[in-house]
Amino acid sequence: MRRAVYNSAIPKAISKSVNRASRTAFSLRYAVQVSCALLALAITAGAVDWSGPEQQLARKIVAVTGPGAVTLTVENRSSLGRRDREIIQNGLRSALEGLGIRFVRAEQAAATVAISLSENPASYVWVAEIRQGAGEFSVVMVSAPRAEGSTVPRESVPLSLRKISLWTQDDPILDVAVLEESAGPTRIAVLGAEKLAVYSLQAGKWQQEQAMGIVHARPWPRDLRGRLIPTKDHLLDVYLPGVVCHSSTGAALTLNCRETDDPWPLVPAALSGGTVTVFPGAGSTSVPIPQLAAFYTPTRNFFTGALTPGVGKFTTVPKFYSAALLPREKYMLWLFAATDGRVHLIDGVSDQVARLDWGSELTSVKTSCGAGWQVLATSSEEGNGDSVRAYEFPDRDAVTVSAAIDFPGGGVVRALWTEAKGDTAVAVVRNRETGSYEAFRLAVACSQ
Amino acid sequence: MRLFDWRSLVVSSMMVGALAVQAETRPQYGGVVHVAMRAAPTSLDPADTTQPDSFARRSLTILMFDTLVTADENVRVQPALATSWQTSQGNQMGDQRWQFRIRRDVKFHDGTPLSAEIAAASLRAANPSWNVSADADSVVIERDRPDSELLAELALPRNAIAKRNPDNTISGTGPFHIVDWQPGKKLALAADENCWRGRPYLDAIEIEMGKSFRDQMTALELGRADLVEVAPEQAHRVSQEGRRLASSDSIELLALLFTRDVASADEKLLRQALALSVERGSIRSVLLQGAGQPTASILPNWMSGYGFVFPTGADLPRSRQAREQVRTIPSWTVGYDGTDPVARLLAERIALNAKDAGLSLQPTSAANADLRLVRIPLASPDPWIALANVAALAGIPAGKDSGSVEDLYASELALLTPQRMIPLFHLPVSYAASATLRNWALRPDGSWTLADAWLGAGKP
Repeated sequence: MRRAVYNSAIPKAISKSVNRASRTAFSLRYAVQVSCALLALAITAGAVDWSGPEQQLARKIVAVTGPGAVTLTVENRSSLGRRDREIIQNGLRSALEGLGIRFVRAEQAAATVAISLSENPASYVWVAEIRQGAGEFSVVMVSAPRAEGSTVPRESVPLSLRKISLWTQDDPILDVAVLEESAGPTRIAVLGAEKLAVYSLQAGKWQQEQAMGIVHARPWPRDLRGRLIPTKDHLLDVYLPGVVCHSSTGAALTLNCRETDDPWPLVPAALSGGTVTVFPGAGSTSVPIPQLAAFYTPTRNFFTGALTPGVGKFTTVPKFYSAALLPREKYMLWLFAATDGRVHLIDGVSDQVARLDWGSELTSVKTSCGAGWQVLATSSEEGNGDSVRAYEFPDRDAVTVSAAIDFPGGGVVRALWTEAKGDTAVAVVRNRETGSYEAFRLAVACSQ
Repeated sequence: MRLFDWRSLVVSSMMVGALAVQAETRPQYGGVVHVAMRAAPTSLDPADTTQPDSFARRSLTILMFDTLVTADENVRVQPALATSWQTSQGNQMGDQRWQFRIRRDVKFHDGTPLSAEIAAASLRAANPSWNVSADADSVVIERDRPDSELLAELALPRNAIAKRNPDNTISGTGPFHIVDWQPGKKLALAADENCWRGRPYLDAIEIEMGKSFRDQMTALELGRADLVEVAPEQAHRVSQEGRRLASSDSIELLALLFTRDVASADEKLLRQALALSVERGSIRSVLLQGAGQPTASILPNWMSGYGFVFPTGADLPRSRQAREQVRTIPSWTVGYDGTDPVARLLAERIALNAKDAGLSLQPTSAANADLRLVRIPLASPDPWIALANVAALAGIPAGKDSGSVEDLYASELALLTPQRMIPLFHLPVSYAASATLRNWALRPDGSWTLADAWLGAGKP
């Protein structure tokens, strides 16, 4: 068994506006105030320094009991792990000893101190319940900010489908395009609801080159979708519901947007109008890839079904969410994920309808393994996040060729588009635990 | 017992998300959703203080109205009708003057553009004690003291921005507009095609009010309702029947509330005896069918982090000891809501516990009672706001927000010390949905939202 290889996620862009920072004030109120007043927690990768709150709680306890003999219990009522609990317990004992506390059996103690490691949504809350003499009861407490974004590690499984993290941010991501790369991406464009941002990797860190606003007159649909199409003569085009933007060709990047119902391209830029190799068995054949574009409903979340120039005799298909191309030796097979949940397999002559229990997102990638082309499709079960799996169509029946991959935080796939070169796809996922959006590159690995 | 409250919050939220988010396909447009509810509000005005706060009322409000800011599922403040905000000194944790820039190109359902003047008037109506004014395209709120809770306050449904018209009609900017309103009975809403957040997926929502839990469940079973309320004590059974059930965190406080302050030392002892006599554990097991959490605190532990400090166990010897110090034992009446199916049983059981301690407690559904069994929907997941609202309901002065958890504890203790209130349970809010209703969501304040809901073809 071989573990899937992941690169480290690109850190979140940290440039936040004052306003944005203020949005978090509500939930981080405890954290900010307490950290300013009380704590100096240095939260580093994998190691948390609890000495601040330990010292502070110890001082509060000793202020009540005074130096002397106490009996101490520590109970973990929080999501802290066993190791942290032990570290904190030892730290508290040391801090108390440093303030003149001696630990004795209950019958010898002047005071009983019961410490509970608890928590609320904003912070850890450590509570000491102190009993002295004849029923004297006191409560003291401190709070400690939570470490941010501690994700539960997931077991990786051997996959023929790999996901590589491209970008993470709090605001919705509609699409991500890799503009330049060497060993990995070095320049990317991130499409959001209101802006297109270009980032480049400099000295190992992602820096925002530019952010360009997207002008639109009417409100976006709730389930907003958009697509970035890198181009040869200028950097890229942006397709949004009822809006198309073209980037400028000059060094200073600008974005010119206009209201239009121009169709969205369905074929990856590098493949459109060219030829690709298919594997119809033992031999291989080059076949031309015709361009195909589809009209998008400006106030909804689906394609109208009108195609240009069309697939064979079909210039319209049922309303659909996504489409995937599977070149054959003699024809192009198109799969359309219709809004009614069915998948239409259209070869230019016939329209075969299948109910595959797939999600609404599907796309295809050209690879050097298997049949040469795989369809990537989402699926979901109630209670779990979405997953993506690779399929092939030897004839008209889908054959599963990869294990399903899922996404952090029970992620929901919000977009799945083939990248410009056609050999990988970008999946945009909303992490349901953190609420953040993450873009992954999906690649089919042949060495399974 | 180890309590993993934060984790349970997350798990609970995930459960809600799991049930509410069906992501196997993109949202589909169209359809009418039918909702049934027990509450029967006679006004849709978010600021109408004559209407009791309820989860149902919050749910209705956010269908039709928007607030300046909103709290997301992680209780983080997000822009809504205000696109940005600033304070005079840049100290967002506690400033007196706040300026909110109003979103452009937003229209009320009657076609009137949203303006700072209308928004300011709306907030003044909801908060007569606030100093709210319009300044160009901004709303300025000036408080008499630094207010670190202002953002959370503005996210409350009761602070939704409403345009109140001279003909007593009301208009909002929310995803749905009013088509038919029969106060206390029925509300029909239609999608706002020009909603600034985008047209909702559903075409319409029809809401039937004043329906008992039983009638609601029948409607769901017969396919006449898509979303209904489930009594906490019924949630386990409904879940076992395979229904799609979603429950919030414990966001409702069930408590005994005395109608007046302690008048004497003897009365103080008797109230203490009563508090010590209530067997919360067995009441939870039997009457509440395991729902909720016994509590002696106002705020649930998941919200405060220290709730376990308040002991919940009955202590009959101490209860009797307190009672025996008093010579004359008065007979108290405990009032309950006659329309609440479990309230009478709870009141009777509490009276039985009190009797064991030598106290005399007479349940009554009459309005006049010495103390009442009350359900208090906690106003917000923000502990300071929740505490302040409970204090206001109970007629007890609330402490000032300093931000520290120790001060929160001290404030809560100060509210409980006068013995006006005996907290009993924190209860979740539960809803059951039809198989076709997708992507509806429970909000952190216990209300539901259908703004992003849609109807699927069949069982997910």
